[in-house]
Amino acid sequence: MRPLTPKRILWTCGWLAALLFVTVVLALRMGAYSISVPDIVKALFNGVIGHWQEIPAEHQMVVFGLRLPRIALEILVGASLSVAGVGFQALLRNPLADPYVLGVSSGAALGAIVSLIAVPHTPGAIQVAAFLGAAITIGIVYFLGRRGGQLDSATLLLAGIISASLLSSIIMFLMTTLTTRDFRGMAFWLMGDLSSPPPVTNVFGWLGFLFTVFLIAAGAIYTTSSDLNLILTGEEEARHLGVNVRRVKLVVYVGASILTGLAVSVSGAIGYVGLLVPHVMRMLFGTDHRLLIPASVIGGAIAIVVADTLARTVAVPTEVPVGAMTALAGAPVFIYLMRRRVR
Amino acid sequence: MRGDKKFRRIAAWSITASVMLLAASVIPTPARATAEKTAQTGAVEPKPAATRTVIDEVGRKVTVPAEVQRVVSLAPNLTEMVYALGLQDKLVGDTDYCDTPPAAKSKPHVGGPMSPSLETIVGLRPDLVLATTSINHVETVDALQHLGIPVYTSDPQSVEGMLASTRRMADLMGANEKGEEVVGQLQSRLDALKAKLAGRPMAHVLFVVWMDPLITIGQNTFIADALKWAGAESVVMSDQKWPHLSFEEIVRVQPEYIVLTPDHAESNATGLADLRSRNGWRELDAVVAGHVIVMDSAVNRPSPGMIDAIEQAARMLHPDAFTNDAEPKSASPDGKPQSATPPAPHVKQRNHEETECTACAR
Repeated sequence: MRPLTPKRILWTCGWLAALLFVTVVLALRMGAYSISVPDIVKALFNGVIGHWQEIPAEHQMVVFGLRLPRIALEILVGASLSVAGVGFQALLRNPLADPYVLGVSSGAALGAIVSLIAVPHTPGAIQVAAFLGAAITIGIVYFLGRRGGQLDSATLLLAGIISASLLSSIIMFLMTTLTTRDFRGMAFWLMGDLSSPPPVTNVFGWLGFLFTVFLIAAGAIYTTSSDLNLILTGEEEARHLGVNVRRVKLVVYVGASILTGLAVSVSGAIGYVGLLVPHVMRMLFGTDHRLLIPASVIGGAIAIVVADTLARTVAVPTEVPVGAMTALAGAPVFIYLMRRRVR
Repeated sequence: MRGDKKFRRIAAWSITASVMLLAASVIPTPARATAEKTAQTGAVEPKPAATRTVIDEVGRKVTVPAEVQRVVSLAPNLTEMVYALGLQDKLVGDTDYCDTPPAAKSKPHVGGPMSPSLETIVGLRPDLVLATTSINHVETVDALQHLGIPVYTSDPQSVEGMLASTRRMADLMGANEKGEEVVGQLQSRLDALKAKLAGRPMAHVLFVVWMDPLITIGQNTFIADALKWAGAESVVMSDQKWPHLSFEEIVRVQPEYIVLTPDHAESNATGLADLRSRNGWRELDAVVAGHVIVMDSAVNRPSPGMIDAIEQAARMLHPDAFTNDAEPKSASPDGKPQSATPPAPHVKQRNHEETECTACAR
């Protein structure tokens, strides 16, 4: 493999970003309301230079009011889940780790629901609660997954699966017994869905808040990427080379939990993205976290933009939950990886 | 290690910068868009004559053109209402589930009531969207309002609430007189029914929404209210709207009547014979006594057609109230015109009336 230079990282990410841009334009084009690519480009161009009067009102509504905010959310969710996946895989030293499979997403969803019951209408509370839910869950899974002081792959996955089903059943219990329903339904939290518009009045300020949190958490994980490379070759060796293993693990643990909570708080528990994207990125670009993390950010964004575009267009005018789409693609990959490991 | 640190710094900065650039380019643009849009709509809006602002049934302000021309309905009962008011020409879109009257099926559909396609709605260029708390999600209403499309949300909690709602929506769509007429007729039918059933004990019923799993109605539903108008009371005391029920609970309370509706799942019982073929059910007192009635499915929707279902159920639950009532010319104390008609013609006349006032609803 060629040596990893900053130049190579920039080039790779540049290409991926270009691919993301093309995907976004195509996603902007697809939908129940038909609008041509030239019209989209015209609307975007006029929007950028501020000529709003030139854009027909319907195009304003569809492009800027509906599709762009949703695509921005898709990018956020895809990037967050993918980086969280990379983080959990490194932390647990298990390539099958994924926020959804390990029950972390369900924990975040439960946290979000509890916050909606306890402190409704508090901005940011749902994200904090989802983070706590995710952090507590991964902590429990981590300790249940140890055997004789060592992380055991099979035990870990079992612990994760059991947590996921326990947490899902608590969510179902809450959703069926509560009489007031000021929040989204069971399918949203358990399956993941981006179809219902965000429950806020200032969508763009809200997106700004989410992206800021994302940048901080993902950035924090990224600063540990060289150390993660060393830790994955062996904790003892890394310690000898001067890596503060505890600190690195703490940063990744908190960062990945924040990212999972962030994604789940806005889209519910979308599955398998955190598993699928990092693996594809490893196959394409190698296992070095300095490239793997930024590549997963953009790759995850592309994956969810594609999945959600399919979700909203395959059965027009009805929508399919995006979680169904990602599970269709993700579950077979999970099985493939699991069988390869067993062999 | 040193080269690695340098590398790490460069890479971290470039990635952070690019992500920030991406975020910066995505976020402020649409923010400007909304600001400009409001400025623009502010400039355009005053031109087309008059608008009017009303407060809808959930307390939101709705500003619509003085003459509403293009209406999208987001629920079957609202579609039915629009037809009952004779405003079907203004209806430019409805949902996949709008099947009453049959003509509603050929209107352009915007998807299901729970997750309509906002883009399709935008494309229909409505100047008013009708929504209801009984089936639509508040997120849908928020999103449409955010796009600048006025949405009137109705919140019918009872039969009379439905009538009031009909009246208000008729007014909003410029069909004030027709609204008064339709609502007046329905109200007088309800009054007549109330007079006939006066003094009779309520029948204790189990209203089956779904057989498997067994779901019934709570006390806070409009169906529970409709049953009261028909002289019946649900035996299940629950604050939930659609409580799941264990069969043992039914055995314990032993309802006098089982009320079924014909639509919904295929697993649902179709009538007495069906219940008699089911284990457990056949031993219930109500089933043994043959006290099973099938109510028109219109009762499931808070719409004008619901009154028919109520009258029909009242006839089945309290048949003696209707036979006794017909012979002495004014058994009801206030002598409503309807109770003065002899039995058989009365029924016919009622049906006739029905075809006139809710012709479209059938």
